[in-house]
Amino acid sequence: MIFIKKLKKTYKGIDAVDIAQLEIYAGEVVGLVGNNGAGKTTFFRLLLDLIRASSGEILSKGNLVTVTEEWKSYTAAYIDEGFLIDYLTPEEYFYFVGKLNQLSKADVDDFLHSYKVFFDDAILQKGKYIRDFSKGNQFKIGIVAALLTNPELLILDEPFANLDPTTQLRLVAMIKQLATDHRMCIIVSSHDINHVSEVSSRILLMEKGKIIKDIAGGEAAYDEMVNYFKVKEH
Amino acid sequence: MSSYLSHQWHSFWRARNTNKSLALQIILGIFYLLIFLEIAGLGVFLPFILKESMPGKDPIVLFCSYIIYYFLVGLLFRFQLQELPSLSIQPYLTQNIKRNSMLRFLNVRSLIHIINILPLFVFIPFAVVEILPAYGAVATNCFLISMFALVVNNHFLNMYIKRKSINSSWWFFSIILVIAILKAFDYFKNFSFESTSSNLFVDLLNHPWLFVFPLALATMTFRLNNNYLKSHLYIEELVSHRKMKVSKNYAFLDKYGDVGEMISLDLKLIFRNKRPKSLIILSGVILLYGFIFYPKYLQTGNYTMLFLFALFITGLFISNYGQFLFAWQSSHFDGMMSYNINMKQYIKAKFLLFVTVCSLQFLIASLYGFMGWQILPIQLAAFLYSIGVNSFVTIYAATYNYKYLNLSKSSSMNFQGIGAIQWLQSLLISLGPVGAFYLLNKFIGFWSAILFISTLGVVGLAFNELIINWLVGQFNNRKHKILEGFRER
Repeated sequence: MIFIKKLKKTYKGIDAVDIAQLEIYAGEVVGLVGNNGAGKTTFFRLLLDLIRASSGEILSKGNLVTVTEEWKSYTAAYIDEGFLIDYLTPEEYFYFVGKLNQLSKADVDDFLHSYKVFFDDAILQKGKYIRDFSKGNQFKIGIVAALLTNPELLILDEPFANLDPTTQLRLVAMIKQLATDHRMCIIVSSHDINHVSEVSSRILLMEKGKIIKDIAGGEAAYDEMVNYFKVKEH
Repeated sequence: MSSYLSHQWHSFWRARNTNKSLALQIILGIFYLLIFLEIAGLGVFLPFILKESMPGKDPIVLFCSYIIYYFLVGLLFRFQLQELPSLSIQPYLTQNIKRNSMLRFLNVRSLIHIINILPLFVFIPFAVVEILPAYGAVATNCFLISMFALVVNNHFLNMYIKRKSINSSWWFFSIILVIAILKAFDYFKNFSFESTSSNLFVDLLNHPWLFVFPLALATMTFRLNNNYLKSHLYIEELVSHRKMKVSKNYAFLDKYGDVGEMISLDLKLIFRNKRPKSLIILSGVILLYGFIFYPKYLQTGNYTMLFLFALFITGLFISNYGQFLFAWQSSHFDGMMSYNINMKQYIKAKFLLFVTVCSLQFLIASLYGFMGWQILPIQLAAFLYSIGVNSFVTIYAATYNYKYLNLSKSSSMNFQGIGAIQWLQSLLISLGPVGAFYLLNKFIGFWSAILFISTLGVVGLAFNELIINWLVGQFNNRKHKILEGFRER
């Protein structure tokens, strides 16, 4: 799915991202973990060609993301509010994103119906523009809009941080299901090592732009991460 | 009290976008100074202008006859330009501050607005030059106090209406109606409102003590406003009321696929955000410029000036909206660049938006053809130039605009997001073709000028595919820089 070679992004002489080689496969759920400033969001932006790499390349299905636009048709992401068009109502926004991916209004309505529980009656038909929703609800809108296109590659930055506990657990279940049922490749960053170790099949630990650990997900990964972050503490 | 004001002062100077280059600040400073001087000059020369345009009448009487109109029209402008300074007190509400001093702050803060200060630059010079010699110092002072009281009255009336009503557009249109009716009465000479106005204010000059009435009026609206505020000092009540927002779909754009979808997105952007919306109102007002300028230049046969105004009238939307073409979307540009959008279609949608709005302006403006047939070819040339050349130049220049833009701030006197490139661009866009028109018209002939300008536009339109492809390349070259700039808020 994704192949990364000697990727480097330097800000004022400091390497924000420095990855020698990395391959991510379809059907994998990759959890990206690291303290603030480890380079997680920068890495995501590089994947989406939102910032220019200082050197190295990213191939998505064999094509350079900097040159082709093909990847946009099977990639969806939600990083922050910068992905929401805030003067639209949620419905308009979903229709807009749907239309860009050749989904009719009815398709979108069907899809939204299946996310009724996730929305908890707080999003649709509220007569508000997205800018007037709370941050948590904006996040829900962003995540669902990303899922709407049924992407092959899904990128979510800190999805658990802004959600209420119920929705966090729902999202964990959703991610697991999407990966097994649709063989979706999902990359999630999180500070919540509990959730991330549960949801991920593979965990990448970042520190100062480098991937210092590449381990399988699950309980063992949880213990290893607790160990790592504990050591960092003192 | 003084500490609130100093906080406001800091918030103005420490705002992110205030850190412009020194050169730009100086240019802006000179620009403001020129405006103030011009307006003060207007006050000084007003008597002469009035004498010139209507000989045989007393300039003071004439001046007085327009005062009520002035305040009515002023109220209209206030609806558009003035905002309620309410949110700024949010952080103070929970502090240990007396309610009354908070109210005083809200009132004083709201008074500091360009729209309250500008009229004084007209009234004071006029009073000194014209009224002082004729009526003496006491009357002059009383006159000025009355005018100031009326400005304050207008100010608080607007605040009160805005606080009270869900939307002020109902008031806006009813006041337009009132002005139209009064003007019609004046026109058909049934009942002269202008002479009522002048009688009132000339009376005031003859009996200076009458100034207590405007003063009382101002006090009344102030108290009205103050009392309302006092009983509604809660954030959710201070902010103007919200209407239920309805999802909208421009059905006619559906058949144009993704391009149509993006145009409808731009239209929603324009109509749902304060700053682009005021640009649209401005474009509407500019359409009326023809009434003011066309007759004069038609009479003297000054086709170059006609062409200049035709450029404004048919094409101002392009430069106004286009200078921030991408910046309008700066708050969600990360999203725009990762959605499944083809960049060529994205740029094309922008171009077609220009063409659509511009054609609309052109069609409406064609009504000016009744003034004189020359206007039609001139406007056609200006229109073709605007969509065929100007639009592409504007898109190109927009790829150099890296500054984040806040959509909810109003646009008047708002220079956020404007850089040197934009100044240069607007200068170039108007001076270039006007210069060419002038030279051709002078040395070869009217039709060669029209033909030349139109050809430029038609050539641009004919090669639009090629040019758009090139623009996409230009955009992609600077895409990361634009994205980075927009993320800096």
